[in-house]
Amino acid sequence: AGNNLASERHYRSMPTHGIGKYKYLLPREVPRKKREKLKMKQLKPGTDTEYGVLNIQLNGYDMTLVEHYIQYIHRLCNQLKIRVEESYAMPTKSTEFSVLQEQGTKMNMEGVIQSHERIVQVSGLSSLLAPIVVEVLQTNQPEGVQLCIKEHTEADFNARFKARPELEGLMAQIN
Amino acid sequence: MCFSDGRTARQQADEEAGNWPKNFKFDILLFCGLLRRGCDLVGERGRAREIGKGVDKEAATLHGGHVLDSPAGHRPDSSFSVECFCTILSLADGESLPMRAEPKKKKKVDPRREQAVRDRLRKRLKKLERVPPELIPIEDFITRTKFLDESRIRDPPKLPVEETERRALLMKKWSRYKQKEHEKEAEMIESMIEAQQQALQELRLESEELYQAAIKRNQGLFPLELQGCRFTPPIANYEAPNGKYRDITKVYTQ
Repeated sequence: AGNNLASERHYRSMPTHGIGKYKYLLPREVPRKKREKLKMKQLKPGTDTEYGVLNIQLNGYDMTLVEHYIQYIHRLCNQLKIRVEESYAMPTKSTEFSVLQEQGTKMNMEGVIQSHERIVQVSGLSSLLAPIVVEVLQTNQPEGVQLCIKEHTEADFNARFKARPELEGLMAQIN
Repeated sequence: MCFSDGRTARQQADEEAGNWPKNFKFDILLFCGLLRRGCDLVGERGRAREIGKGVDKEAATLHGGHVLDSPAGHRPDSSFSVECFCTILSLADGESLPMRAEPKKKKKVDPRREQAVRDRLRKRLKKLERVPPELIPIEDFITRTKFLDESRIRDPPKLPVEETERRALLMKKWSRYKQKEHEKEAEMIESMIEAQQQALQELRLESEELYQAAIKRNQGLFPLELQGCRFTPPIANYEAPNGKYRDITKVYTQ
């Protein structure tokens, strides 16, 4: 009864087996997982520094200066064989400033300024190199760019992600 | 009206309780006060007992420890307790005042409903947690569409030969200058490292303890904030105009 259907299939012994396949000819696509994992928490040994993961944050209103400075820092770290984990940008902050008018109490909207922030994550900075690096950075710091060297925390890492109010609401409800 | 209220309450109590002496003398004001208290207590069942006990204690302190247990023999200046009221209505010891408005809730369905609600919440939470968090897009790296307008594209200007030559020579000078600068900086860093090493060697020869302490990292270095130098010094007696700042950064939610 089912013989008709059986003869239409390309069975494994037949030469036409696998006639329609083509995906094996295409280049292999590795599925990209966009999950970034932190937790590179280094131990804090007393003697030999290896400061753990440090964040060098640059803040400024002039984007070109900030960008060039961060490139300079990156190259310097490469030269001194300091391990650079990541180099990323934080979202820009826009500030609207208004000036009080001379004749009245009305606020006159003057303009919008944007403040840019770049971060270089560095790990394994030894205690002997640290003050030298800080001095070099200080000598080359451009005007209007604020430098800030801090330890990396999970809060800093989470600040890069979008807020999820639904998730937080559900967590609050369950607890 | 006080009297009518008293009568209706009496009739109700009559229906529920059953035995009720008909030729019963009541202090009207007292009963109205009681009714009011009773109405207040209808909303809070369990507390009726406590309030009654509290009132009892007050009455005991005021009138020498005598608490009424029979309705008939009451004194004009003594107060009623809720327990008395309950005995009037011939309620048992553990019962509360019978509530009219709320129907009785079954005890089995409640924990199941709560569990179901919690399971639903947990399922929703799991679904949301599976989705990885997204990075906030950075406006710096996104070219605005108005700059991608085709009408803005212009042909580069045509330069004379001298100008191109001048520019090429300038670039070479600049790269030479930058190379010198980079070399000087590398030299400076090397000399600093060497000086440091020499100093540490000398210190080691002096005392091992100090050397070990010197090698340790500086704890106070961490939150380091450096302000860049400025073009001009601050102006003396400068009056800044009055105004205010407002943060209008776009908040992204997933």
